[in-house]
Amino acid sequence: MKKKLYIFSVIILTLIPFKAISLIEVDITRGNLNPLPIAVSPLYIDESSKKIFFEETKIENLGSEITKVVENNLKTTGLFNPLSKDAFLQKPDIAHLKPRFEDWTLIKAQALITGKITIVEKKIRIEFRLWDVLANKEMLALAFTTVPNNWRRVGHIISDKVYERLTGEKGYFDTRIIYVAEEGPKTNRIKKLAIMDQDGFNTKYLTLGNELVLTPRFNPTNQMVTYLSYFRNLPRVYLLDIETGIQEVVGDFPGMTFAPRFSPDGKKIIMSFASEGNSDIYTMDLETRVVERITNHPSIDTSPSYSPDGKYICFNSDRSRYQQIYVMKSDGSNVKRISFGKGLYGTPVWSPRGDLIAFTKLHKGKFYIGVMRTDGSGERLLTENFYQEAPSWSPNGRVLIFYRETKTNDKGEGFSAKLWSIDLTGYNERLVTTKTDASDPSWSSLLSK
Amino acid sequence: MNREIFLSFSFHLLIIFGATLTLPFLLKKPIDLPPIISVELIQITEKTNIPFAPKAKKIIEKVKEKEKLVSEQAPPKKVKKEKPDSIPLPDEKVEVIKKQEEKKQNPEKIEDKMKQVSEFEKKEMFDTNQIAALIDKSKEEEAKTNIKSNKITQSQDDSVDMTSLTLSEEDALKAQIFGCWSIPLGLPYNENLLVRIKLKLKPDGTVMKSEILDHARMNKPGQGFYKVLAESALRAIQLCQPLRVPSTGYERWKNLQLNFDAREMLEG
Amino acid sequence: MNLNKIFKNAFLIVLVSFVLSACATKTKQLGSQIQGDVYTGTDTVEYLASGVPDRVFFATNESVLTTASRETLRKQAAWLRKNPNINVVLEGHADERGTREYNLALGERRANAAKDYLMTYGISSNRISVISYGKERPVDSGSNPLAWSKNRRSVTVKAN
Repeated sequence: MKKKLYIFSVIILTLIPFKAISLIEVDITRGNLNPLPIAVSPLYIDESSKKIFFEETKIENLGSEITKVVENNLKTTGLFNPLSKDAFLQKPDIAHLKPRFEDWTLIKAQALITGKITIVEKKIRIEFRLWDVLANKEMLALAFTTVPNNWRRVGHIISDKVYERLTGEKGYFDTRIIYVAEEGPKTNRIKKLAIMDQDGFNTKYLTLGNELVLTPRFNPTNQMVTYLSYFRNLPRVYLLDIETGIQEVVGDFPGMTFAPRFSPDGKKIIMSFASEGNSDIYTMDLETRVVERITNHPSIDTSPSYSPDGKYICFNSDRSRYQQIYVMKSDGSNVKRISFGKGLYGTPVWSPRGDLIAFTKLHKGKFYIGVMRTDGSGERLLTENFYQEAPSWSPNGRVLIFYRETKTNDKGEGFSAKLWSIDLTGYNERLVTTKTDASDPSWSSLLSK
Repeated sequence: MNREIFLSFSFHLLIIFGATLTLPFLLKKPIDLPPIISVELIQITEKTNIPFAPKAKKIIEKVKEKEKLVSEQAPPKKVKKEKPDSIPLPDEKVEVIKKQEEKKQNPEKIEDKMKQVSEFEKKEMFDTNQIAALIDKSKEEEAKTNIKSNKITQSQDDSVDMTSLTLSEEDALKAQIFGCWSIPLGLPYNENLLVRIKLKLKPDGTVMKSEILDHARMNKPGQGFYKVLAESALRAIQLCQPLRVPSTGYERWKNLQLNFDAREMLEG
Repeated sequence: MNLNKIFKNAFLIVLVSFVLSACATKTKQLGSQIQGDVYTGTDTVEYLASGVPDRVFFATNESVLTTASRETLRKQAAWLRKNPNINVVLEGHADERGTREYNLALGERRANAAKDYLMTYGISSNRISVISYGKERPVDSGSNPLAWSKNRRSVTVKAN
């Protein structure tokens, strides 16, 4: 009996510590960086809804049109590879109920989007699902309604949700970009304010081109724009209401005001005011109209940008002889220089995530778009070009949009200005299509919040 | 204007200077290439013999002392195998050695090595006193009660008393999973990107059960990328089924933990 | 064998010298129109009156007036004194090799440098207004140093 007990306890004792350790561990430190293969099945619409849609929007097959929007969005991130529809085996209506995952793994899809749209009292109702093809389960299911004419935004919202679920980051597809549309000879460019969806559709012009307009920026609710206009040959900062088109001059300054931005709460406009050869930074409260002077230095202080919490401002100053980037508290105190590399630094803009400041750098005749941490460390240059500047952040702080100009030949021919975007990792540099030449882009926040 | 002249003058001087200094060397005979030194490439074998793994060295030395002891125990090893669930082989130190081996990445042919496995492993190290002690005590009891199962063990594969993968087995598995794992590009490169997944495998390499360690991290705010990372690892495992597991020694690797770390690839 | 080598090297030295001297001549060509990074030519210059150039030029990132600029401005001041009813606008410009917003400020600084100088020669400040166009209105659309030097300017324009 004693012996048996002894053996039993020995067995137990050995079991406890060792069983846990009898596990082989293998470290997997490499993989491939291929974009995720994703299948976007056309959204299913029944025949009667199809007819009503066509009457409303003149679009034949709304289901596939919306999926095209989604595919294009996902593709431009460089993170996804939307598969060709010709290979799809399952029909949209069946796929949406319960996909036959074998059919989708056959074409090497790892994720699948299915959905359907119906008319509900003159509105469209969208249901969509995101499936993990390999794990054979649903990852996401959402439904929402909107007016038929908003169908492109439906595609953008689906893209945002899918992007967020698969990358862990908020999306940036349901957004707009405001920029300056330009035409004409380099010596006399005609410039207009233009606004478009981030995928280049629905372009609208907000000014006529009769006066020079520059550097437009959205307010946090995306309903107002602040910009510089040379109306009546007096360069001043203006406010424009996108809905009504009404423009008003900001403040009553006796000289040029320029480089305007909104504060993160949308209540103030921060800008530069130039007088007698000196440019300083000022703010004006849009409600009280109270003007506050933020910098007071004989050097040029311009391009101010608030941190997302409104506590700090980064700006461009040549107080140390050449253009550098500085950070100060929002009341103008505690000014610190943060750029120390070789070359000139300009156009600092604070990321909506608060962690980085993007900038333009000029060194040895080349222009760079780069980012650095808010204390100036970790400077990374993302792209180099003959001429490029003025980066603006996507609302999730992952992508930068900026503009480039081309070199002209000796006759002055061949000039063009275009918008470009690049991912924070330095990958995925791409041209943003615009109807005309374009410059000074600025990204809105997410339209749906 | 003056600046240009000065620069031109100084460059001229430099060239003339450089030419006068270097020219005489052109008259000399070309330097003979040094004789080619033959370098011996160290073979990676099943038996660890890596000089630079300090822990391994200690253990190997320890074992060599006990080698005699171990060989005496040879028959009882088979006995132990009869009751794998009662006295599993302690292998923590052996695992450490294996980890050191992982640093080297020389893929070898698997087929050849697998055949030799059994021979080598008989000499393999069991360096804890506890095992010796256990074996002594259990031997007596088990020998009495497990005569029948003795026969069964003898017909089993006489391989693999070790409890970790050999270097080449591991490389094979790694190579397979490297090909299946699509690392999400959108992950933040300056965060902890390690996700550990415990797997229970079937003998043919398919997955019976998978479990993500640090599961709580999946839903932590600000760690949304962890969920994405974990899901990508799970997809990799799914894609790669059946896993490239050794053809023998199921008991050894039926519980496998894969540590996916995206840091190296994303940091660039 | 040795002689051959000496000739070879001597030839190389001479060749290199020629190459270097070629570089020197290139700057001589531009040199006639640019001095110290400031445009000194008359290509784009217009005249307010006979012998009174309407503009002054600047070096990159500078708003300092050169001797030539000051001479031009003195002539302008003299002409303005003779014509007390004329008011002027000083337009400040920058070249395209800089960021847009900073260039707006730089243009303003340049125009003010010219204005201040005119004022020291007795022209009252209410006769002079200042506007900056930054890099928006280049006079030469080329993408080369000569074109850029022509664009770094402050132009005096009759306001009435």
